[in-house]
Amino acid sequence: MSENWNITLKVSRQKEGEKPHFDEFKIEVDPDEYVLDAVERVWAFMDRTVCFRHACHHSTCGACGMRVNNVEKLTCITYIRDVTHDGGVLKLEPLRNFPIISDLAVDMGSLYNRLETVGVRAILPAPEAEIENPPATWDSADQQYIRLADCIECGLCISACPSAATSSEYLGPAVLAGVQANGIKGNPEMLNIVDAEDGVWRCHSAFECTAVCPSYVDPARRIMNLRTQVIKERFTRLFHKA
Amino acid sequence: MSKPQAIIVGAGFTGAATAHDLALRGFDVTVIERGDICNGTSGRTHGLLHCGGRYAVKDQESAIECIDENILLRKIVPQVIEPNGGLFIALNESDLQYRDVFIQGCEACHIPLEELTPEQALRLEPNINPKLLTAFLIPDGTFDPLRLALSFAATAKKNGAKFRIFTEATSLILDGKGGVIGVNILDRASNKPYELRADIVVNATGAWAGEIAEMAGASVPVKPTPGVMVAYDQRFVQRAINRLNTPGDGDIVLPQRRMVVVGTTSFEIDDLDYVPVLEDHVKLMLERGAELIPGIRNARVRGKYMATRPLISSGSGRSAARTFKCYDHKETHNIDGLVTITGGKATTLRAMAEGTADMVCKKLGLNAPCTTKDVLLLSYRQYYSLPN
Amino acid sequence: MENQRNRPSPSKFWTWFNPIGRETGGWAFILNRVTALGLVFYLYIHLLVLSQLAMGPQAYDNFLALMSNPMIIFGEVLVVAAGIIHGLNGIRIVLTTFGVGVTRQKQLFYGLMAVALIAAFVFAFRMFTA
Repeated sequence: MSENWNITLKVSRQKEGEKPHFDEFKIEVDPDEYVLDAVERVWAFMDRTVCFRHACHHSTCGACGMRVNNVEKLTCITYIRDVTHDGGVLKLEPLRNFPIISDLAVDMGSLYNRLETVGVRAILPAPEAEIENPPATWDSADQQYIRLADCIECGLCISACPSAATSSEYLGPAVLAGVQANGIKGNPEMLNIVDAEDGVWRCHSAFECTAVCPSYVDPARRIMNLRTQVIKERFTRLFHKA
Repeated sequence: MSKPQAIIVGAGFTGAATAHDLALRGFDVTVIERGDICNGTSGRTHGLLHCGGRYAVKDQESAIECIDENILLRKIVPQVIEPNGGLFIALNESDLQYRDVFIQGCEACHIPLEELTPEQALRLEPNINPKLLTAFLIPDGTFDPLRLALSFAATAKKNGAKFRIFTEATSLILDGKGGVIGVNILDRASNKPYELRADIVVNATGAWAGEIAEMAGASVPVKPTPGVMVAYDQRFVQRAINRLNTPGDGDIVLPQRRMVVVGTTSFEIDDLDYVPVLEDHVKLMLERGAELIPGIRNARVRGKYMATRPLISSGSGRSAARTFKCYDHKETHNIDGLVTITGGKATTLRAMAEGTADMVCKKLGLNAPCTTKDVLLLSYRQYYSLPN
Repeated sequence: MENQRNRPSPSKFWTWFNPIGRETGGWAFILNRVTALGLVFYLYIHLLVLSQLAMGPQAYDNFLALMSNPMIIFGEVLVVAAGIIHGLNGIRIVLTTFGVGVTRQKQLFYGLMAVALIAAFVFAFRMFTA
């Protein structure tokens, strides 16, 4: 295996009522470990007061998202080797655009509420889940299978989105991507929700969401596609309303 | 008439499911968890919704629990389950010799199974080892670990339960007569200590059950037994693939979103709070996983991690029973007000909660039957929208 | 969880302008907004200067003298560049909004900015040698 590195973990700390600051932890790591492993070791052996969220450790739960050296990452699948070097610094900050519970843990309630309100499906038929970027194994015989959606609701896209930074009412990439996957044909209620100031039109094409998504969702492309769906729906309704 | 107060320590599968059960029975439940939901063992399960076939030969009590709960979970919480079934496949003579006892075991445990020819199996799953000798189709499934717990937690919250995360139990409050009457707590988010009183404290900390029990001077025979999991970045199969043989290392591969997860190994440790990933275990998963699905050799590792099972030590390692046990510490150590639930598997979380809640009600002299078999769970997302 | 209504406003400049950790799409976004602000600023100055022309022939001569100042010409090159960048990037945004080239938005940006750079140099050359 590879030689160990000595790095400094710079962890953003913020307890209730206090000002945020950074704590530094010098730690020895195997560069082929994940960033989350390093955070866990800091918690286990150096400072039990560090608050962070993690559950599955294999990119299905979406709990461990953080900003690693200023870029949104899912820390359970981010190799230390890819984000720093021997003797380097690993700066860890909580996701942006969500209220901070403590240290690296944020409250993603707004995201979950919106996903629930617009009815984004958590499980769906396999062909629908994989219709874009189908994996090599996809086959029409897979029609009957049901699988968990690609979107793990990790919030990285919302943290990276500059529009979400200026507007907390913006539905956000994850939610709009979920509506796109459901489709809005013949659904006037959903049409009105997304064809709104804080729906698809709040997106200003920064494409940061797709850049940070760890889960093949490609929210930017889905938002653009949703705009096409919105325009089609409006057109259709214009001519059918008479 | 005020509600009986319960504090549940630990918000993994057992804690969340027990909160749900007790809330339905009219308890005022507070769950405390030093991290966030499922940050211990529960979050890291590979997510196999067992049909029980794995235990049908050597541990039939577990097997029957599994198949019964498998069917129940598909009914009450389908929104977190990939219900696509599973295969047990035989690759060599040793596997084939297991065939007969496997069939007998499954039938004894009312686990429905159907034997397939290799051609039939390959038509269903083209990426499994083409040299398989026989296969059995069984009703396995895959679930999302965090979301399974959140579904129970959401429903519990709807019925009045409160979940306090980043809230650590620093010690138990004793009444001086050998009874537990509450928990001393440190809220990590604000760094403030406070007290919570209760009629009953449920120790649902799984692998850490011994540590919490010790706070009252009790003990439980739980042996923390970690194992490795490795996730690869391609969804090679739509079903869980199991090796047809006695349970061993690396004999389960299952799909989850766009990955497959291979597990697991089994060894003993002392320090629970951090278990390093052992590279030779990871290599073993690659070897054993590739036996079932050769394509794994060309896939990239997406994640690798250790998960610590709470085994109840009656035997060791793989021979320890996988069933669960509730301990009333009044009976074990003459300490009132505390029960411990540990052991078990993710698939049986609802049954574990039922057993625990039954014990709690019996202790407090309450006649409140379990209703969790019939209650459909709320969407996991509602955990975040329902107020505490 | 506090109920802060965070709405878009000019005071939020540093939240969207933050270029740290951004990729190509994010840079394009920031560039588009900065050039937009620049063009608006230029428009204001332009109107201000033009209004001076209503003040008689002396003002007109002063105006012409000012316009041949190389610093001003350079400023005008920047305005032209901003207009071309903003316009071409705008075309990229129109294309992607209608689903064209979304998966190649980075390459589209680089290509169009190369065109913008060349155009800016051509204009700069012509403006300085006129």
